[in-house]
Formats: sequence, structure tokens, C-alpha cells
Amino acid sequence: MLTLESVHTYYGHIHALKGISLTVNEGEIVTLIGSNGAGKTTTLNTISGVLSARAGAIYLQEGDHSRRSPSAGGEHDLRLDRLPAHEVARLGVSQSPEGRKIFARLSVRENLAMGAFARTDRDGISGDLDRVLELFPRLQERLSQPGGTLSGGEQQMLAIGRALMSSPRILLLDEPSMGLAPILVQQIFQIIREINAQGTTILLVEQNAQAALQVANRGYVLETGNIVLSGAARDLLADPQVAEAYLGI
Amino acid sequence: MTSSPVKAQAAGTDGRAALKQFTRALGVAIVLLVIWRVTTVGLAEGYPVSFWISQALNGLVLGGVYALVALGYTLVYGILFMINFAHGEVMMIGGITGFFALQFAQARGWMEGPWPVVVVALLLIMFVGMAASVVIGVTLERLAYRPLRQAPRLVPLISAIGASLFLQYSVLLIFGVSPHSYRKPALISGGLRLGDVFIPYTGAIIFVTSILLMLALFFIIQRTKLGRAMRAVAEDRSTASLMGVDVNAVIVVTFMLGSALAGAAGVMLGFHNTVVKFNSGFIPGLKAFTAAVLGGIGNIPGAMFGALILGLIEAIGPSALGIPTEYKDVIAFTLLVLILIFRPTGLFGEVLSEKKA
Ligand SMILES: Nc1ncnc2c1ncn2[C@@H]1O[C@H](COP(=O)(O)OP(=O)(O)O)[C@@H](O)[C@H]1O
Ligand SMILES: [Mg+2]
Repeated sequence: MLTLESVHTYYGHIHALKGISLTVNEGEIVTLIGSNGAGKTTTLNTISGVLSARAGAIYLQEGDHSRRSPSAGGEHDLRLDRLPAHEVARLGVSQSPEGRKIFARLSVRENLAMGAFARTDRDGISGDLDRVLELFPRLQERLSQPGGTLSGGEQQMLAIGRALMSSPRILLLDEPSMGLAPILVQQIFQIIREINAQGTTILLVEQNAQAALQVANRGYVLETGNIVLSGAARDLLADPQVAEAYLGI
Repeated sequence: MTSSPVKAQAAGTDGRAALKQFTRALGVAIVLLVIWRVTTVGLAEGYPVSFWISQALNGLVLGGVYALVALGYTLVYGILFMINFAHGEVMMIGGITGFFALQFAQARGWMEGPWPVVVVALLLIMFVGMAASVVIGVTLERLAYRPLRQAPRLVPLISAIGASLFLQYSVLLIFGVSPHSYRKPALISGGLRLGDVFIPYTGAIIFVTSILLMLALFFIIQRTKLGRAMRAVAEDRSTASLMGVDVNAVIVVTFMLGSALAGAAGVMLGFHNTVVKFNSGFIPGLKAFTAAVLGGIGNIPGAMFGALILGLIEAIGPSALGIPTEYKDVIAFTLLVLILIFRPTGLFGEVLSEKKA
């Protein structure tokens, strides 16, 4: 569904992504793990169009409603690199960014409404609002509070809920467990599973490799801008190299 | 070796403490001076109460106009963290264009027509002024500011000052130095007498129109999807773009709203001051900027209240302090300097300090 082909991204002269290739298939949870500074956030922001790739290509399979060849081959895929962030978002690629990035002065309800900004289907929006509030009942009682007054865990829930409000085809999650108490981390990963079970494809970026590999189908290991390892999540969990570097065993 | 940075630091904190003490002493001195002037000169004159009320009403009218312009500064600052120093000229061009619309209406006798015709014509004149300002404001954003969006913060500021001079002297070149005079239609020339207080119709109309326009802006910003997107972009541009918001479009709309209010202000100031010319936007622009800073720049209700307060201070100040009215500009700009020294976030603002700026 989403394909990156040797993507290179730079910050000025800093070469942050050195030819990343990865694929996320429809219905999967794919995780991108790696230590701090490996380029995980850069990868998500390049997909989202916040950063632009200097070389390589990013493809998104066309949606179900549009004409698509049965082979789902390259020629009917949409090219995402070159598109500005707001257009990528409108194609159904939604990101819950690192550090949550809640609009602190907008109410929780307004934050969720921002997630549905590109939509015009009132019924669909209110249906998704119900769904998000069902996933995160804590947000229900805080709807009219400013986003900035929420606790870290609640902000993370709001960030994920906001990303879901666009009814995305693929959800990009950047370190959803960062800075949360262990019990909340468990809860967040449980919810990620649930969202996926409801039919949303997920690309999950994590430093918490253990937890991420436990929910994911497949994983990629990123090191200083290169993918050094990839495979089924359970194989990566068993891999001694991964265990040493990322699982703290 | 190791002790020198510590010493330097200590000297730094000493210097800062001394400066703080000095500014505090200066503040107390200014307050005492103002109290002394007001009690020994202003109140000693023995003006009647109706005089003070008239002055205050005058101040509110001026304050309403300043508020419309101040909102443009604050809206743009809220989103781009830059001061659009050409905003006064955006207003002036609304005023100049409004003058030609008024001339057009007068030539057709609309201003002497029955009252509904006059009212509609006045509204049209204001819309024409607003439209002209919107065109100028959007053009400024596109040509003078957008290319510099990634540049250091001082750069667009210099561009804005350049744009301000460019617009002033373009108008000077095209329309000449002599002022264009706004002639009020007879319908709104009179006024209302309440006891000893006289309220000119124009003043009342300007104040009410300003308030209505501000309410409309407030509604757009607080209650519409567009306004929500504007607030989101002001907080965090790149996260807003992740939500599907076209940030450039929102910035353009922000300039449109601010410029439309400035255009309305330009036309109303034309009727209030009876003349417009190439530099009519300069001082009112600075006053509105002062008002925006007074209310805490970036803070929308702050700009409204800051402007009303500034209008009142300017109207009452000269009599209260016993200084000639011609020096009322000194009061506004002294106030600007004092706010920047004592309370750079403005009267109502934590807003600025919260932002990454
Ligand atoms: N805004 C930036 N400017 C310059 N370099 C950056 C910027 N953001 C990230 N980098 C660099 O790019 C590399 C990858 O960063 P990032 O994608 O944030 O890593 P991760 O999300 O895996 O922790 C790091 O070396 C980081 O220092
Ligand atoms: Mg990161």
C-alpha cells in the first residue's frame, strides 16, 4: 500500500536518510525501530511531506474507490514525494507526530475537529468521533478543556484520536509510548492493536522495540539513516543482533 | 582560569539586578509625575464633567478605528511572528480608494438621495476601500514576505519597512501631495446632543461599525472551521499541515481579513479626519501597532482592548496632563516605549512568552 524506494532526505548538508526502502501492505502493522537519531522521525516526515526527499520515490496505492488495476502495480500508484504535506494528508496518510504536538490552546473537541479538517461528510465525521471517544473514553469528559491542560498520556490519546479523525488509510505513529508510565504504555499498544483490527494500516515508529515488535507483523531496523535489518516481527524479536542492540538483553 | 566565567556570570546578574532596580525607579518616577500633573494641572483647570465625557467618547471612536488596524498587526504576528510594518499603508490605500468611490457616488448624486440610498452607498464605499486593501495586503504577502519566510526574523521586517515606503511614495507619485478631502453626506453631518455632551453621528457610526466588524472577526476566528485552522496554524504550522491544512492559504486568508479591517478603518478615518493623503497611514499605523503591543501582540482581544485604552488615553491625556493636544502623539509613543520596557508581553499577554517566537 505504501512503498518507499531508496529515499534520501537531507537537513541542509546533513544526510539524514541514506536510501531507505520499505513497504507497508494493506492491513499490516509495520514497525520501524532504531535508537535516538537513527532517522525514524525523518522517515515519517518525509512520507508526510513535511520534509521533501532529495532522491528516491514514495508511492501510495490508489484508494478502493478509484480505478485500480487488479495487479495493484506501480503505474496506478500515487507519487507522494513532491506533494506538500496537506495534500499527502488528504490522500489518507495521517500522522500522530513525535511529542504529540497537541494544539495547546484549542479545546480537545477542536483538536479532534482539526483531525477531520479535510473532510466534508458530517455523518462520517460524527461516526468517527464516536469511535475515537469509544477508544479513548478519557477524552469524553475533557472535550471542552484546552488541549494543553491534558496529562501526557491523555495528550498521546488525543494525538492518536486526532490522527484517526481523518479516517486514514494508513496511520503513521511516531513514538506513541514516549514518556508514558508502563501501565499506559501497555494500554496504548493495546489500542494500536485494536485500531489495526478495525481495519487501519499502521506504520509504527518506536524506540521501545520489545513492545513494538510484539504488536507488529513486520519490522525494519534503522541505523543512522540506513535500514540494516528487516523481517517478520517474531524473527526480529528472536534475532540475537536485535536483542543485543535494542531489547537490552 | 576556572573562576573567570563564574565572575563574568556574577557581573552579569549584578548588572541585570541594577538595571531592574533602575527601571523600577523610573517606573515609580513616571507614575508620580503623571499623578502630579493630573492633580496640579489637569484637575485644577476645573473642566466640567461633560467635557471629560465628550473627550472619552472621542477616544472610544478613535480607539475603535485603531482596534481594526491593530487586529491586522496582531493576526499576522500571531501566524508569522512578524510585524507587518506596511499595514498602516494598507489602511491608507483603503482610505484613498474609498475617497474615489465617494467621489463617484457624489457625482451621481447618491449622497443627496433618500436615506436608504445614502446608507447603501456608504456601505459600498467601505467595501470598495476594503477590497483595495485586501488586494494590497495579499500582494504584499506574496511578493514581499512569502519569499522571505525561511529568512532570519529581521529580514521580513526590513522588507516590510521597504514596502511601507514604496506604497507611500507610489501613492504620492500617482495622486500627488495634496490631501483628498472626504465630504460627509448631509445625512450624517449632524449629531446628537445629550445634555452638555455632543455626539457626532459619524463618531457613533464609526464606533458601532468597528464593534460590528470586530464581532464578525471574533465569530470567524472562534466559531468557524477556517478560524479554527487559523488558530491551529498560529500554534504549529507543520502539525496543522499534517491535518490537511494548506498553510499558505490560511496565511493568505489571514492577510485578507486583517487588510479588510484596515480598509474599513481607512475609509472611516477618512470621514473622521476629513482628509487622506499618501502618509495618512503612517502615524495611525504606528498607533495601532502601539495598541497591539499594549494588548499583547498576537492576542486578539488584547488588540481590541489595547486600542480602546490607547484611544481613551490619547483623548483624555492631553487635558489631564495639561499639555497641548498637538502633543498627543507623544503620549502614545511614550506609552509604547514604557510598555516595551516594563511589560513587553502587554497588559493581557502571556501569549508571547508561551510561543517559540
Ligand atoms: N531539524 C533538524 N535539523 C538538522 N538535523 C536534524 C533535524 N532533525 C533531525 N536531524 C538529524 O537527523 C538525524 C535523524 O533524526 P530523527 O529522524 O529525528 O531521528 P529519530 O526520530 O530516529 O530519533 C539525526 O542525526 C538528527 O540529528
Ligand atoms: Mg524521532
